Amino acid sequence: MSGENVPPLIAAQLNYLINHFPLTVKIEQMWSGSKYYPGTLDRFTLAIPYCLDFLRWDVIYDAESPFSAPDVIFGVEDERFPPFLLMGGEGGGFLKSPKNCFSDWNSKDPTRLMFLVQQLRDQYKSYQNRRVGEVDDDRLKFEISTIIHREGIEMHMISGFEKPEEVKFAVPLMDMDINKMVPGCPWRHPQKIYLQVIYPVGKKYVSTPSAPRLKLFSTSELKALFSIEDVKLPVWVDGMCMAEYLPHLEESLEKQVLEAVTLIDVRRHFIEALAVLFGRPLEADPVFGRRTTFLAGSGVFTFMVHFFIPTQFPRQQPVLMLQSSQHFNSHGAPIKSHHLTDCPWSPRWEPSQMAERIFEYLVDEALNFKRYCNEAQLQH
Amino acid sequence: MGDHPLQKIAISGPTLASLIQRFSFSSGAVDGLLFGHVTHIAPSNLSDDMPSSTASDSSPLVATITGFICSGTVNSFYDSAGRVDAPALTRLLGSDSDEHRSLIGWFSGRRRTQLRPSLREFSVTASLSSKTDLSFPVRNAPIATNLAPCVFVLFGSPFQDQTIHTHEYRAHQFRTSAQSFESISIDIVNIGPAFRGHYGSFSPNSPFPLMHCEMRTSPMSEDRDDESLGQRKRVSKIQRELDMCAEGLEVGDLRRLVGPQAVNYTAGVEDLYEKMLTKIENLARLVEKSSAKVLEQENHNRNLRLKVARSAGLE
Repeated sequence: MSGENVPPLIAAQLNYLINHFPLTVKIEQMWSGSKYYPGTLDRFTLAIPYCLDFLRWDVIYDAESPFSAPDVIFGVEDERFPPFLLMGGEGGGFLKSPKNCFSDWNSKDPTRLMFLVQQLRDQYKSYQNRRVGEVDDDRLKFEISTIIHREGIEMHMISGFEKPEEVKFAVPLMDMDINKMVPGCPWRHPQKIYLQVIYPVGKKYVSTPSAPRLKLFSTSELKALFSIEDVKLPVWVDGMCMAEYLPHLEESLEKQVLEAVTLIDVRRHFIEALAVLFGRPLEADPVFGRRTTFLAGSGVFTFMVHFFIPTQFPRQQPVLMLQSSQHFNSHGAPIKSHHLTDCPWSPRWEPSQMAERIFEYLVDEALNFKRYCNEAQLQH
Repeated sequence: MGDHPLQKIAISGPTLASLIQRFSFSSGAVDGLLFGHVTHIAPSNLSDDMPSSTASDSSPLVATITGFICSGTVNSFYDSAGRVDAPALTRLLGSDSDEHRSLIGWFSGRRRTQLRPSLREFSVTASLSSKTDLSFPVRNAPIATNLAPCVFVLFGSPFQDQTIHTHEYRAHQFRTSAQSFESISIDIVNIGPAFRGHYGSFSPNSPFPLMHCEMRTSPMSEDRDDESLGQRKRVSKIQRELDMCAEGLEVGDLRRLVGPQAVNYTAGVEDLYEKMLTKIENLARLVEKSSAKVLEQENHNRNLRLKVARSAGLE
């Protein structure tokens, strides 16, 4: 965020929102609505995560009256949300409650915008819960009654012009704190895996309801440890309900995550074994052991060896890339090899044997790479 | 108080232009009140074979905007949660209640935003529509009907920079039963041959301010001794001012415009008009100068405000 062009009071609130909101809020767009100071950015679009998607809300401040509370414009599809804020919900409407953030706006309090977004998102959640609750579909009503108690579950009614009505659930899986399981965990936000379940809203005359569409999601930083793309979802049997499906899925996922955590040590041992032959690494990923770089030489030719170690290591072999320290292309960037995946490999080898075989492989490969570098440089 | 759909909103070209002008010349976002009336019109296209028309098409109610007050700022009659502040609204409305113009709604103008009602605008309109004391009768209604101030007109400037137009507007009616906005078309009533029939049925009105002054020539005035001295003084002051404008010409003299002596008299009246025009010109120049001063002061204020905001942010 460019702090210079945002009026200081607004900048303070935005910064607080970005740094302290429990979820990752993004500013998608910032622009100016000022006539005389077109460089003063006083309105912006926030992308707020909700139900594995984003709510895009325009927050409108006014540079002309910097002490006033901002206004909010919701998405086109949420035109029933303001009436809910006015009338619906507990206590007869958020806007009427004295606790709402607008009522005693204090522009000098940097926490205000964050609390406003928090309050509105909470309201949006109950608004969607009510919309989904109003859907006249027996299966859905049953599903909701069995899973509504799960902590953190979110739902979203999807309806639109010439679009079939659907109800989307985002179900947080596994009651385990993955952040705590990783020693030296660098993640600021708690990492979670979610199951997205999309139910078509039933037509009354269909006797057997179709299976919901299922997809796994995870928070983005979790990818360093565990890739949900490798998970095979259990089959949804006809007539099944979520309460039956979820325990099996959670059990198998739990095992896989625990395994992924133990694999961190396996990768670390591998890097340590490499260090015996290559010397101290230039760089190594200390938390997850996913990357490391060594300096190597063949005669006078010195080059770096980058190791990319997959989450599935040792079942999947590491990927190597060589980078010359002496050859540069026309743009002045060091010449690099392609990803090398053909080094000898067996997951059953001891780490020391893995390292030895890679070392031997590189003795030959270094010559190929040197030739490749010389040729590449000659062309320029 | 019912919740009747409006068919359309009529506004004269000059009124709309002046609204847009106020918005586009303001430094920031603005809001204000809309005045006018809602009239029940008899359906003109009576036919037997078109039973399927939409609800708003068949609605006989047309809202006409005849005037407005622009506050020049925002939050002028409501708080930041969008609740109408009754004393502030009364202040803005002024003491004059006029049967020709009722408060029929409000407007908001904001630059470079989506042309959709915001949360606060929704709340303000809902709050205004729920004020039963503000409801006004529908004209020519076969059954006595009252309507609350439910019109909301949103002005904006384009969100993207590349567009060729400079402003946009959209009108809404707030329906209390559904608690939602309904888009209403705006019908701009203009002068011109194509609009003649149209304009004939349209009656914009800007009422002449009430002036309590009497004609001295009236013999009736001699009899009225019950007036207080203060009022008399005031009246004579107004009369003096009027006399200054009339420059010796008396209302009674206008009688001479008709009849045989008119020919001699027209020159005198024309002379008077000329003098009046010069005066108006002078007045216009005066207004121009004071406007420039006001603008200068506004710019100064804006700079001060900005300075305050910056120093507050640095604390």
